[in-house]
Amino acid sequence: MQIKKTHIIPLILILLSGFAVAQQHEQASTNASVTTQTKYEVGSSIVLKFPATKAVAPLLYCSNSYGSTLISGDRKNQELHYKIPNNISKKTGVINWQLLDTKTPISGNIYITPKAEVATMETYIGPPSIEAGGTDYTMLVVIPTDSLDNPVPNNTTVNANFQFLDSEEKETILTNNLIAFKNINSKKESGRMLVSSESLGINSKEFTINVSAAIPTDFSISATRPHDYADGNQITTFSTSIIKDRLNNIVSDGTFVTFIITNAENNILKTTGTTINGVATSKIIHPDFKDQWRISAFVDGMAESNTITLHYKQVIEDFEVSFLNNNRTIRVGPLQSFMKQMIPDGLQVKLKVFKGDTLFKTLTKTSFNGYANFSLKPAIFENETYNFQLETAGKTKVFKSKKLW
Amino acid sequence: MVGFNKNIMRTILLASYIILIGLIITGISALFSYLNTGADRSSMLHTEIQKVEQYLPKLNWEPLQNEGRPMDSENLNALQNDYLDAWYVKQIAYKTNKIAGIKDYYTDSARLNLYDFIALNKAKNITIEATTLQHNPTLEFFSEDGQLAVITDRNVIEYKRVYKDETLVLETNELSTYKIVFLLEDGFWRIRHLVKEHTEIYKPENKMVNTDSLNIKGINYYPQATPWNMYGDDFSKDTISKDFKIIKDAGLNAVRLFVQYEDFGKASVEYKKLEKLKHTLDAAEEQQLKVVLTLFDFYGDYSVLNWTLNQKHATTIVNSVKNHNALLAWDIKNEPNLDFKSRGKDLVIAWVDHMIDLVKSLDDKHPVTVGWSNTESASILKDKVDFISFHYYEDLSDFDEAINKMKTEIPNKPLVLQEFGLSSYRGIWNPFGNSENDQMAYYKLAQEKFKTHNLQFMSWTLYDFTEIPKEVVGRLPWRKRAQEHFGFINQNGETKPAFTYISTL
Repeated sequence: MQIKKTHIIPLILILLSGFAVAQQHEQASTNASVTTQTKYEVGSSIVLKFPATKAVAPLLYCSNSYGSTLISGDRKNQELHYKIPNNISKKTGVINWQLLDTKTPISGNIYITPKAEVATMETYIGPPSIEAGGTDYTMLVVIPTDSLDNPVPNNTTVNANFQFLDSEEKETILTNNLIAFKNINSKKESGRMLVSSESLGINSKEFTINVSAAIPTDFSISATRPHDYADGNQITTFSTSIIKDRLNNIVSDGTFVTFIITNAENNILKTTGTTINGVATSKIIHPDFKDQWRISAFVDGMAESNTITLHYKQVIEDFEVSFLNNNRTIRVGPLQSFMKQMIPDGLQVKLKVFKGDTLFKTLTKTSFNGYANFSLKPAIFENETYNFQLETAGKTKVFKSKKLW
Repeated sequence: MVGFNKNIMRTILLASYIILIGLIITGISALFSYLNTGADRSSMLHTEIQKVEQYLPKLNWEPLQNEGRPMDSENLNALQNDYLDAWYVKQIAYKTNKIAGIKDYYTDSARLNLYDFIALNKAKNITIEATTLQHNPTLEFFSEDGQLAVITDRNVIEYKRVYKDETLVLETNELSTYKIVFLLEDGFWRIRHLVKEHTEIYKPENKMVNTDSLNIKGINYYPQATPWNMYGDDFSKDTISKDFKIIKDAGLNAVRLFVQYEDFGKASVEYKKLEKLKHTLDAAEEQQLKVVLTLFDFYGDYSVLNWTLNQKHATTIVNSVKNHNALLAWDIKNEPNLDFKSRGKDLVIAWVDHMIDLVKSLDDKHPVTVGWSNTESASILKDKVDFISFHYYEDLSDFDEAINKMKTEIPNKPLVLQEFGLSSYRGIWNPFGNSENDQMAYYKLAQEKFKTHNLQFMSWTLYDFTEIPKEVVGRLPWRKRAQEHFGFINQNGETKPAFTYISTL
């Protein structure tokens, strides 16, 4: 009760000529009464009092952080009472007032001081995802506010709490410039960090920081395949070792890995994969001719693997070609694989038709049941002599001066 | 004969038919193409936002030494724009007691504080016209994720006019320091907390410039071919140089030139116009003439929310020519007292007062004056200007009395009769007007009076003009004709008899 009274007690002051002491900008020429109190706690009721000199109460101009207004006075006994509106007295900061009366208007300032309480903890944290390793950091910014939505005074203590893996830490920070902030550095490990803050008994909610692994370090790759024949049908699977950063944290799922394959003719093939639990896998179909692949993998711009070499053996050593139907049907086959089995459907067979030395037409077929058939239509291939060249599985056969009729 | 008429009829019918069809088709196609214009694809998303210059107080950022993330110029620029816009919408809100625009620049909880004020002021019929003329922000803090910033804005100069029931009850200048917390929300830097930490009443202290050596014997100058449009496409330094030579040879030592507010580009002054102004000053320097430069010519809107724009305009001009040797003095505005009736005397005076402060803060070497249109107004702001300028177009017989009255009112400042003259127009609109000889007699008498009163003077004007823009004296022909004949040199380039008395003998 006692405390409340001291809160509410409006201050009455006899303003004598000495009132220059209390922040005034002018010499008071007349006897005016004013509160000597210039500091009020936010939210308290403030009444400014002046001796009534005229019948009509003059207006009081009053301005705070957000705006300005005019207050009409009440005449009580021989005094004028001006009650500062709640919307002004509930915001911290300085209020300047001026009595619009005399020719040298009386004016002054009132300071509204913050309460020593916190009602809400406005907490901002960002960036929400940082890199492990101790150099990257995120920032916790707390704006503690009182029940009237005012920022708290400078040097109010805010406790920042962090939980990460096994550790729980607490650090004390102080408000300055209306806010308190703390840089939170990552640890060596990746994981999720939980952050909260507390000030004067009020706690913030929980915030989560995702500490992801740092950039990957070099890794190794391996390949698995059902057999080492170049049958153009089976699939070779490449996989990486578990890709980790320099502190042994497994890189984030979805890290993009590119496998670059250089074949015997220095042509480049490419296949890609993304990591799950640090391992990226990627598949590619076998070549259909004898080849040698050198494979290395990259996380673009960050890490690379060793180079491995794969050999693919020739499956078709030789193939038969028969000319039927006035040489207009060319049958290639049987095409037989490494166990003399018919090669699986889909082996590419290419027929190049030359007139003399000039290439006239290229026809491409895929094998079906071990055979590929080319039929040369009379509308395109007139009755003439042609040279034929057949290519499949990296083998080539040439037939010169075949006459079509 | 009948056949002939019939043919004429046929031709007319046919022609009118073709014309009619043509008009209808034109009309329909115009309508059709209008309806087809629709939304331009590029405008559909409203990606292009035109930046309108509406609030440009003087703004000096302290060097960036903030805590947290280092600030970059793009973010700082965005923060600055939104901060100024926040002030602007607040000023408008308190002027109109409406909440439009507030929510863009204040967060949910901060805007309630403004709404409270608006509700309070609306209920009591209080409106506040205010502006801030200067900000000195310091960036205190910028968060690592770039979403939160704190600035301290020191010594914000705030000017307010407080109205109760549409009557002005208070005019105040305040110097305040604010601390502001911003949050970046929806692409806007919004104010979360605003705390006024310090405030005091602001009284700028201006240094007076010594005017003892001031000895103006001058003339108001516009080129004959381009009056009131001196810095346009027809600008010619040669013409101006020739005219300045005439003026110098006639025994004068100064010219009064005008900088028109809109013509020079309002808040963003056009570089080309400034160059032409400098060339003109160069021409004056070559002829050893001094220049009284009148700012804000043809500007008539003194509303408080435009002050920052006026300030920007004046700052650019003052800063670019204040070191020119030809410059003699700044004349803030030509005849501002003529706007007292339409814009309110106190508002106009407050504006002039602030512009004097501004010019003096930018240039403390050259004297500042205001070209009042009569002797009665000349004592307004007499303590702020360095010398008094006034215009006199009334009868010279009352001149002595008027001057003596002024001298008692303003005993300690030099007086400059900045405009005077007599039109020698006698014609259809004024058959009993003054002749050229009357004009000569007027100037002769005027010069005698200047000698007795030891007055400095600038006459109106060198030339008779052929075209007077309507902004000068309106559209009425008798006024225009009269205005055309104030010169010492007539429209054919011949000197009029009054030329003998252009200067002291």
